[in-house]
Amino acid sequence: MDKNMCNISKNISNDGGESENEIELSNRIFSVESDEELYPIPLENHNEIVDFEDELDAVNINNFFHRVDSDQIIYQSKKKKLKLIGKYVMGDMLGEGSYGKVKEMLDSETLCRRAVKIIKERKIRRIPNGEQNVQREIKLLRSLRHKNVIRLVDECYNSEKEKKYLIMEFCAGSLQGMLDSTPDKRLPHFQAHGYFLQLIDGLEYLHGKNVVHKDIKPGNLLITLEGDLKISDLGVAEIIDLFAEDTSVQGQGTPTFTPPEIANGLETFPGFKVDIWSSGVTLYNVVTGTYPFEGDSIFRLFENIGKGVFQIPEDIEDPLRNLLLGMMEKDPYDRLTLQQIRQHQWFTRKPAKHGNVVPLPALKGDQWHNMTTIPYLIDHYYDLPNDDYPDEHFYTEHQLNEERKKYQKDHSNGTSQQSNSSKRRWKKPISCMTVRNFPGCKQS
Amino acid sequence: MAKYEAKTSSYKIISLLGQGFDGKAEVHLAKYLPTNEMLAIKKFDMDKIKEEAQLVEREIILTRQLQHPRIISYHLAFVNGPSVWVISSLMAFGSCRDLLSRYFNDGLPENAIILILRDVLDALDYIHKKGFIHRAIKASHILISATGKACLTGLRYACPMVVNGKWQKSIHSFPASTAGNLNWLSPELLEQNLLGYNEKSDIYSVGITMCELANGQEPFAGTTTTLMLTEKVRGCAPQLLDCVTFPRGLALESSGDCDSKSIENRKFSEDLHSVAELCMQRDAYYRPTAEQLLTHPLFKSHKKSMPLPDLLKPALPMSDRVAYNKDDVTNLDTINRLSQMEIYTCEWDF
Repeated sequence: MDKNMCNISKNISNDGGESENEIELSNRIFSVESDEELYPIPLENHNEIVDFEDELDAVNINNFFHRVDSDQIIYQSKKKKLKLIGKYVMGDMLGEGSYGKVKEMLDSETLCRRAVKIIKERKIRRIPNGEQNVQREIKLLRSLRHKNVIRLVDECYNSEKEKKYLIMEFCAGSLQGMLDSTPDKRLPHFQAHGYFLQLIDGLEYLHGKNVVHKDIKPGNLLITLEGDLKISDLGVAEIIDLFAEDTSVQGQGTPTFTPPEIANGLETFPGFKVDIWSSGVTLYNVVTGTYPFEGDSIFRLFENIGKGVFQIPEDIEDPLRNLLLGMMEKDPYDRLTLQQIRQHQWFTRKPAKHGNVVPLPALKGDQWHNMTTIPYLIDHYYDLPNDDYPDEHFYTEHQLNEERKKYQKDHSNGTSQQSNSSKRRWKKPISCMTVRNFPGCKQS
Repeated sequence: MAKYEAKTSSYKIISLLGQGFDGKAEVHLAKYLPTNEMLAIKKFDMDKIKEEAQLVEREIILTRQLQHPRIISYHLAFVNGPSVWVISSLMAFGSCRDLLSRYFNDGLPENAIILILRDVLDALDYIHKKGFIHRAIKASHILISATGKACLTGLRYACPMVVNGKWQKSIHSFPASTAGNLNWLSPELLEQNLLGYNEKSDIYSVGITMCELANGQEPFAGTTTTLMLTEKVRGCAPQLLDCVTFPRGLALESSGDCDSKSIENRKFSEDLHSVAELCMQRDAYYRPTAEQLLTHPLFKSHKKSMPLPDLLKPALPMSDRVAYNKDDVTNLDTINRLSQMEIYTCEWDF
């Protein structure tokens, strides 16, 4: 078995380098979701190296074909291989957008955290209107600059891989993520109020630029580390013609947040009012934890929205109740304008502080949202190549379970873990003195 | 403010002292014609600055807002064509970075460091109590007056700790246009995580600045930014280099232009080492405040020391050099000296 392991490790070191994180997995012996953390080595098939990319916690024992002792399942920690796109250091995945992965990046010149939207052109071409939408979004983003609208910082292109990299401001999470992290899927009113003000600021800027977002929803409202709200994903946004009347013709937003005029299939309707409606649904959702309209199917849902009749839970009182009714007025011409919302009583008066602030939910178990680029850099700068003794990078399932138990125990004790990422806990600590190619220790 | 006139004809530009703000601002030596007073004029080239105009605005407003003898004061600011002129007193020894580059390549003597450090901490204590974090403490932002008083500048990177009337426990904003200050910034500021940072971040920068003043160059100079980041995040604390921390036996392949002999032969006091160490602790919680640092024994023992201008010899204050020819700046000798200064004083960043 030891011999086998050595052979395998050779294989890994030979082709592990370029496997990267882009390989998509079909089912192998383990059907586990993935993260770039561990390499399992299948006992059955030594020649195949399976690439796993997920949290240890996701390992699902039930999916094994046959019983294996936990001591017999062997993992190798996958190296966090440093990858550069221009001057940017690639980090872990943050999420999946409509057109591709979103990952964290680090600007190596300013050391500012960034997020990158990776657009695979080959994939985009297969989506109807894909290329067009992407082009329009990029063009739009370039022209926008506001505190509450996500900013496109830089663009890179890899012609070989036909990949476009849109480098954006870094956000730590979305409003949707925050809602999901709470038991009743809602925020206290004073917190919702703070975000709503920012949403209206951002919307006012967009509308002033004749841009209708058309897909306002908690999932598209990102929150930065500073607590600023950024309107993102302008994939279906539309520029209203300055000289034509304010009428929009297409609707491709998210069904639950769609206004009656689109649900009813009207040919033209005032564009800006679409955003007012979906902002109303968003506010409704954030303060109640429910949606004003639901349906078993999109047809049922649209039917309900089309009638424009909905209930607001009893505990929502005026003036908030009144604001929601005004924003979700069925007739777009009767619906509140941004100016009216600004003057609304709920808008102008900050609600009393009831309840606790909902924090940004942890990202992959890291409540402090540490830079995910650091492990790649540490690996690059400090990890000595250890081809002779690869065994220290191998762990059995049994060991992992022990570690996990220990970790959970530590965690439940409430020990406030300092910011150091707990992910790399199996790495042998390497002292600063053994650093290779480190010119900084010397006085120049 | 009323004392100086807001028109360019009242000022005679004598020479370029240096550049700041990544070459987007120039500092000139000038004479105020109504009184023949020598002044420093900083000209911001707004065409080059463009999107960073906010920083200029913030710097001027905040500098005018903070009134402290150890913080540079702007007498006047006005717009002249595409540039913004800021008039301030002449800081005759220039910046500490300047002194290091020109006269003290291996660092300043300990007594000079202590005198400068005390002034900086005085200013910082004031800034922190006013609710701001400086975020750019470094030798090029410390100017020395003819009488040897250190003044803090570079307030365009500062940020308020008071937001919406509330004192924040931690700040998360990452300073804009900060590439030139990265080596001095604290690990927690660079980490940009949800824990954020507070005024203790400046204390870390004080520690780095102490190393810069003592060693002649800031730690991590010449290191790639990403390596500097990982080193700081891992808690690598830089040191003042002397015979204790830089033993003779330590062979260095590339010692560069630095004279390692003088480093091996000097010895900084225990107190100086200890203050630097206190400042550069990885965990901001354990770093002392500026006020606490000022009570450190280091500042009690130095009272009998020589005044700073004597310690800075052979460097001479600029006004002295010009004073001989106050009315006749066309004097060849002065021109020669000034033109020499132009070559070296590229770090006059105030």
